[in-house]
Order: sequence, then C-alpha cells, then structure tokens
Amino acid sequence: MAKLTRRGFIKQTSMSVATIGVLAAAPLAAIPDAPDVVATDAAAAEEFSAAELSGTLVAHVRDLATGEISLMSGTQEIIYRDPELVMRLMRALP
Amino acid sequence: MSSHREAPNISKDPVADNTDLYAFVSPDKPKTVTLLANFIPLEGPAGGPNFFEFGEDVLYEINIDNNGDGAADVTYQFQFQTQTRNPDTFLYNTGPISSLNDPHWNRPQFYSVTKVKHGLSTVLGSNLPCPPCNIGPTSTPNYAANLAQPAVQTLNSGEVVFAGQRADGFYVDLGSVFDLLDLRPFQSLFFNPMANAPGVNGLDKINVHTIAVQVPKTELTRDGSNPGDPNSKKSVIGVWATASRQKARILEKGKGGSKESGPWVQVSRLGNPLINEAIIAIGDKDRWNATQPKDDSQFVEYYQHPEVSGLLPNLYPGVFPNLAGYSKVRADVIAILLTGLPSGIINGFQNYTGKVQSDMLRLNMAIPPTKNPNILGILGGDLAGFPNGRRFLDDIFTIELRVLAGVTIPLVDPSFTPDAAASQVTDGVTPSNITNPYLTSFPYLGVPYDGFDYPGH
Repeated sequence: MAKLTRRGFIKQTSMSVATIGVLAAAPLAAIPDAPDVVATDAAAAEEFSAAELSGTLVAHVRDLATGEISLMSGTQEIIYRDPELVMRLMRALP
Repeated sequence: MSSHREAPNISKDPVADNTDLYAFVSPDKPKTVTLLANFIPLEGPAGGPNFFEFGEDVLYEINIDNNGDGAADVTYQFQFQTQTRNPDTFLYNTGPISSLNDPHWNRPQFYSVTKVKHGLSTVLGSNLPCPPCNIGPTSTPNYAANLAQPAVQTLNSGEVVFAGQRADGFYVDLGSVFDLLDLRPFQSLFFNPMANAPGVNGLDKINVHTIAVQVPKTELTRDGSNPGDPNSKKSVIGVWATASRQKARILEKGKGGSKESGPWVQVSRLGNPLINEAIIAIGDKDRWNATQPKDDSQFVEYYQHPEVSGLLPNLYPGVFPNLAGYSKVRADVIAILLTGLPSGIINGFQNYTGKVQSDMLRLNMAIPPTKNPNILGILGGDLAGFPNGRRFLDDIFTIELRVLAGVTIPLVDPSFTPDAAASQVTDGVTPSNITNPYLTSFPYLGVPYDGFDYPGH
C-alpha cells in the first residue's frame, strides 16, 4: 500500500490556492501527531488517480476544542491539527 | 433473514447491505472453493423502471483469514461502474436485450476485481460485464443462456467470477419468525396456540445481487499448499464479506448528484448467518457492522447467553424445561460461531481457527463435498455442511434454532440433556420451497425471477 505524507497529500489534491496558503502557514509544531495517510488499495488508487486529482477536497472539523481537522481527497485522509484555523472558521459563521 | 435489513442503519442503504454469504468446496470442481456474497435484499422482480444495480460508490469485499487472527490475509475487491447509453429515455431497455453488448440495454454495469494478498493489490480483471436484471421474456429473452452464462468470466489468474442478479437461495419463513417466532409447524405449542401448518418461504420469488468468485484452494491456504488433511490447521479458512462507503458525501444542491471523498469505511459485514440478525442486540448492530472480526470478543456476552435461548421457553410454555433451567455460559455457541470446533468434539472434523474470537464462516477445505448432502449439515452427520462453511441448501435457520434450543450443549457439557423439542423445532421450510432451483455449476444460485412472470413482490 502506498504511504503518503501530509505534504504529498496536499500536493496531490486540487485545493484552492487560498486554502493551500492557510495550511502552509500552519506551524509544523501544530501537527505533531498527524499520521501518514495510507491508501486503502494502491492498485485501485492508481486506477482512479486521474479522478482523484480533479476531485473534491473535503475538510471536516472533527473537534472544535482541539482544532482537529480531517482532510479527505480521493480515498485518502490526513488528520491535521490547527486550533487557530478552526477559530477563524468559527468566526466566519454567521 | 440471514442478514437482510438486519441493522437499523444498513436497512436504509440496501445496495450496501450484505444478505448472505456462502463458502464451500465446489462440488463440480473440488480443487476450488466457491465464495459467494449476496447484497441488496428483497428485490422485487418487477421493480422497474430503475431496476436493481450494484452501488458505484460502494466497495464490496470478500475477505479470507488463513492464520486464525481474524484479520484478512486475502481479499477480493469488487467495484462497479454504470453506463447510461441513452439519457433521453426513461427506459431500462429500449428493446429486447439479446446479449451483454446489446445497445437496447440502457444501463449496462461493469466491474473490476482486485486481489489484495500480503498487502499487495493486483487488478485481476476490469470492465467485466454484469448481466442485466431479468425483466421478462420480451425484454430479456433466453436470460440464462444469452445473458447470465456469458457473464461468468474466467480470469487469467485462474479465478472464475460472476457479479449480477440471481434468485435468492436463502429460505426461511420470515412471516412466522418475525411474528414472535410463531413457527407454523409448532403453533399448537405456542403461547398463543393455533393449528399447526406448513412453513412458508418468505424469500421465494425474490432476487438479490450476487458477487461470486471461484478460487483454487492453493490461493487461499497460508502457505499455498493443497489442503488434504482435515486435521491440519492449514486446511481451515475464515471468510466474511463487507461493504464500505467513502467517509464523506457531499450532496450537490440543484444538480441531483453527489461527490464522495475519503477512505473507505465499513458499513456492512457478514460471516456466519443470522449473527447480527438474531444474536446481536439492536443497540450494537450498527457498531457490529462497522467492526472487524478480530475485535469480536467485545460481543461475546451475546453468545454466552443468547436472547433466543431465553425466549424459547417463554414462547413455548413447558416445551423447553431443560433449556429454561440452563444458566451456564453457552460454550457450544461460542465454539461453533466464534472460534470454530476443535478436534475431538466431532469425529473426523475440526474447523478451529484458534483462540481469537471472531465471527467468520469457517471452512475446512480438506473435507470433500458429498453427493448426498444433508440440509442439516453437521447436525445431520454431513461434515461438508454448515457450520463447515455454508452451502446454499443448508437449512441455516433450523440448524441455528436447534443450536440455540440446546441440542449442541452436550458437546461441551455432557451433564445436560436437551429437550426433546430441541432436535425437532423448525420453521418447516426446505429447498423444495424455492421456485427457481439451485444450479449444478457456478454461480450455483438459481436464475433470477423475471418481473413479467413474478410481478407479485
């Protein structure tokens, strides 16, 4: 199975430039426990890689208190921790 | 039902709902094992115009454990794609479908098969054709020969595969079972007594969608050997099937579509029949569906004191006095369903996978198929039947009901004498209550019922 780092994951997704900027600005210390992402099936991932590159990126704030965000693209997921970003997102709510 | 609509969440997601799982040494090709998983419960044959299909957004898997740890060592994955040839008609078919590439078929479905072994994924086949649903003699003439048989595909790797609609081969009197276990042949003994009556197969003339793979035994053993010794641990495999969906789904407002993203998350599973149906309590059913077999020890209390065993003496007053007085942990149920039976309990048989408690359909591949099967499987003295894997004709409901009624307690507790009714109780349904019979060759399940001739469901 193909292992993917956070950096590789972000590079493969079709996030907007603005979002990439936000993530790149996050201090590395903010994501100490972000695990590597494991594709469920390397062959299948390869087969559908074109679709994944043009697909959707979903960001799910899993825990408001800890700032834990799940980023999903294709069949991959990476856990990202950024309380500051979550606070800013919260402030954007009406 | 074996596992049709057995849990609250999955009952609302039929394309991902496992209904039955079968694993047996192929009677006509005994060097192979047939693994067959059914999905999409209770398909009414006339259910158009959008007839039943596999989910394109579902990952279907048949998993095999060959070293007893309750984790998959070999997995066959199936993923589907659907075409719409003509979006400007409401019709499933614009004329008779006479072959798998007939342009009159408006919604052909194709699939890929991927094998995962030792962590390595290999695509064994892609763009493999499914047959259409069996619509009726005008739309799908000569269904078996023209449409179903050509969909049986032999892969270069040696496996034979099929994915498509079949007649549901499970048989059970649903109406009586869910009416508080009011078994028609025993109604006179029920707490609300009525005259005894024959059982009625509630799944007759109903279809399902089948995923089947026929595999050389040597592909399934832990060391690639050919299992010839029934006493060897290497001869036993554990099998379960799952369906998974991607973690996130975004509905697109105003477009009628959706986008999925994220890793696959298991939403349905099935190993032994009737487990999540009748052993696991409703508060844990959804979690059970999301759990892997290796973690099943958390559910062991449901096996230690099965709810059905406690209900029987109350539903049939005075009929099960010995069962009513038995308060010990049901070690027989745990052995049969969670670990397999070790050597020395049943002469010439074992399907023990070790101490890890896991719900898997355990098959001793060294036990050859028999020409004279007994629908009661091992309870009927037929070592090639359930709980040694599962064949279509095995009377699963009756076997498990009798086990829960106490007939197998003496295997582990010789001091116990089963009630006379424990070896008699049944829903009164047999394979003779299935209209479209099983086939003698792969994929073995009967031709699906067509909507024109069987419109009543």
